[in-house]
Amino acid sequence: MNRTLEHILPKVQKPARYTGGEYNAVVKDKRTVDTRFALCFPDTYEIGMSNLGCRILYGLMNEQEGLWCERCYAPWGDMEEEMRREGLLLYALESGDPISDFDIIGFSLGYEMAYTNVLNMLDLAGLPLRSADRPELTPLIVAGGTCCYNPEPLAPFVDFFVLGEGEEVTLEYIALYRQAKEECWSKEEFLREVAQIPGIYVPSLYEVTYHADGTVEAITPKDGAPATVTKRIVEDMDKSYFPVKTIIPSTEIVHDRVMLELFRGCIRGCRFCQAGYAYRPVRSRNPKLLAQYGKAACEDSGYQEMTLSSLSSTDYPCLMELCDELLDYCAPRDIGLSLPSLRADTFSMNLMERLQRVRKGGLTFAPEAGTQRLRDAINKNLKEEDLLQSCRTAFSGGWSGVKLYFMLGLPTETDEDVLGIADLARKVYQCWRECTPNRARGVRITVSTSWFVPKPHTAFQWDAQIPMEEYQRRVNLLRDALKRDRSITYNWHDPQTSYLEAIFSRGDRRLADVLETAWQNGAKFDSWSEYFDFQRWMDALKACGLSGDFYAHRVREKDEVFPWSVPSVGVSRQFLWHERELCYQSQTTPDCRTRCSGCGANKFLPGGVCNG
Amino acid sequence: MADRLLFSKTGRAKYISHLDLMRTFQRAFTRAGIEIKHTQGFHKHPFVSIALPLSVGYSSQCEILEFGLVGGATAEEVPARLTAAMPEGIIIHQCYPAERKLKELAFVNYIINFEYSEGRPQASEPAMQELLSRESLVMQKKSNKSKKGYTEVDLIPLIRGFNLECQSDTLTLDAVLCAQNPGLNPELIRAAFCQAYPEYAPDFVTFHRREVLDIDGNPFR
Ligand code: SF4
Repeated sequence: MNRTLEHILPKVQKPARYTGGEYNAVVKDKRTVDTRFALCFPDTYEIGMSNLGCRILYGLMNEQEGLWCERCYAPWGDMEEEMRREGLLLYALESGDPISDFDIIGFSLGYEMAYTNVLNMLDLAGLPLRSADRPELTPLIVAGGTCCYNPEPLAPFVDFFVLGEGEEVTLEYIALYRQAKEECWSKEEFLREVAQIPGIYVPSLYEVTYHADGTVEAITPKDGAPATVTKRIVEDMDKSYFPVKTIIPSTEIVHDRVMLELFRGCIRGCRFCQAGYAYRPVRSRNPKLLAQYGKAACEDSGYQEMTLSSLSSTDYPCLMELCDELLDYCAPRDIGLSLPSLRADTFSMNLMERLQRVRKGGLTFAPEAGTQRLRDAINKNLKEEDLLQSCRTAFSGGWSGVKLYFMLGLPTETDEDVLGIADLARKVYQCWRECTPNRARGVRITVSTSWFVPKPHTAFQWDAQIPMEEYQRRVNLLRDALKRDRSITYNWHDPQTSYLEAIFSRGDRRLADVLETAWQNGAKFDSWSEYFDFQRWMDALKACGLSGDFYAHRVREKDEVFPWSVPSVGVSRQFLWHERELCYQSQTTPDCRTRCSGCGANKFLPGGVCNG
Repeated sequence: MADRLLFSKTGRAKYISHLDLMRTFQRAFTRAGIEIKHTQGFHKHPFVSIALPLSVGYSSQCEILEFGLVGGATAEEVPARLTAAMPEGIIIHQCYPAERKLKELAFVNYIINFEYSEGRPQASEPAMQELLSRESLVMQKKSNKSKKGYTEVDLIPLIRGFNLECQSDTLTLDAVLCAQNPGLNPELIRAAFCQAYPEYAPDFVTFHRREVLDIDGNPFR
């Protein structure tokens, strides 16, 4: 280990995060390696290591000969301070080598509030932040993840973005990179070529012009770059890579268990949900294969816990069959099996009872809206009676707590809808009174609300986030309505980060200056209250002459050129607009299994038929 | 009676905390296909216990872990199988039935290395010699039990013997310290030295456990 690092580590909290050397970490002989990839996650080790997408790409890349993928996470403040003081550059965990010497540095972008960490990590690596200031071919700065469906605020910093699922396209662009290195291409030449690979968006090949009112006038591709870049998907999940052997951290992380991904996509079509649109169409894995993977992963990891993860796991067609098989394996070995994304229906509750052996603490449901009218408007297919029936089952079975998640500020929401949340919570309480076998034990019903953030590529991409004062008013309304219910606890999400999310998720590339200014003034780890400073962001917006409200609180015209017009998730704009219109009529759209609504995502599949 | 492992923890593994190390062992036994005894009760889990918790950042070649071997491997097979299931830096040397009580573990031999990047001051050796030859050397030690937040401890009676060795940029203290009831954390020796001789304070200190000993000074297993 590097001596400087060795001298630093005793001074920082949780040093095991910064050493590497975990079980299953891949160390290759550098003499056999021609391409080095630093897979970076712009947050702590504990969070980054829990990311399934990164586990997949890490395993997949390291299966390739001559390619070595290593990991890198954002150091916490104490570690950063020591690194800067000692002049230790940001290094990859496996080799300890500075990532600035690597061929490719790839970031995983899952949430906007991590953007400043991307800048901070580039700086800690000793690299210029802006792509234009890095004239050499290497290191290339690449980014993938759901934020890349509108990566504009990061456009000047990142050389290219990868849209969609990375399993295939990553190997494709690495192959091209190898050719470029071999033939000594310039960075410009490489970027022009890589833009021809489907799913790759090179922001510097697009010129953006603006109207006087600040909206985008046009986005013009140059050097043969495509006008639309459509995301990539894995067609056949049964043939796709599954990370049976993954790194087992030597210290605790957030999701420290086997993660079994049942399927990708979601049949439901909630109108606010970006993941629901962006991961279409649904593709399932074969249950036999999943059971095999699950068992093998337990055996290899020694984990005592397995979780079935997908957007809405109970929609998996062979769930019972799979669970039975997994339970046969898990129960005798004391391995816990959990299902995080439950729907509130009887089927799920039965399943839940079978899975959960001991833990009967809390149960979580996300009705999202308080009235049936609004749930219909957002196409959240959940009937009140189903929710209540689920609660009855749970309470009769000995559960003593329920968490209910809602959003405030959804399009078309009225005060009646807000108060409907309180009504619903009271009905849940009533269910508990009727069903609990043990009233003396009491019940905890938690209502949480967040401030709705309209996301690109959803039916609400045109809509405004309600103003902050209005959000606060609705919070107060609900808080007052729940004041007297002592068994119901009300938590509301701090509005400041939601405002910034609303700005950056639908932002354009002028916001890059805001990011850089905020970072210069100390912004990093913005999703952590220890570091977040709202005023710093307001000052940065002002310094750059931009209005946050313009991005967050403005209703867009039907035909406005969005900053995210080039990236496509494969769902047509007409379909999304139609969904929005249905919302304003409080009309629902059936799920993809009941009836196809023609969103356009079927084109990804052979024969153009969705059958997940 | 329980079984024991003798293992070392060096390199990157130095930074794994005591609790994390126990969890790592529990998982590693499963990974290696070695069946071990579980604790009884509602939350059953594999039972492992480490004799003298090692501070984060210290290395050791003589750690002892207690567990109960049930099956899946013979005692002879355990070291190689388990080492293969471990993170880098943890090597299992032996697996054997416990024959002595843990409380017979009386002393720990530490190698404490004082590093001076600009060269070792000549006078640092006599200074250390002087310090450790005092009649008594009382230091404050953090304590949650005491109201003041610390207790006082005299280091001298807890140091069974020591030896000094010098190189151009290091001063190496080879010391045998009491292991338990009460034990002496060698960090206190570093602190005492820096307090008494701030002018000879080293740039960095490493701590290494070389051996655990019984009351007669023989290796404890
Ligand atoms: S094409 Fe039809 S079935 Fe396929 S994802 Fe779109 S709406 Fe659903």
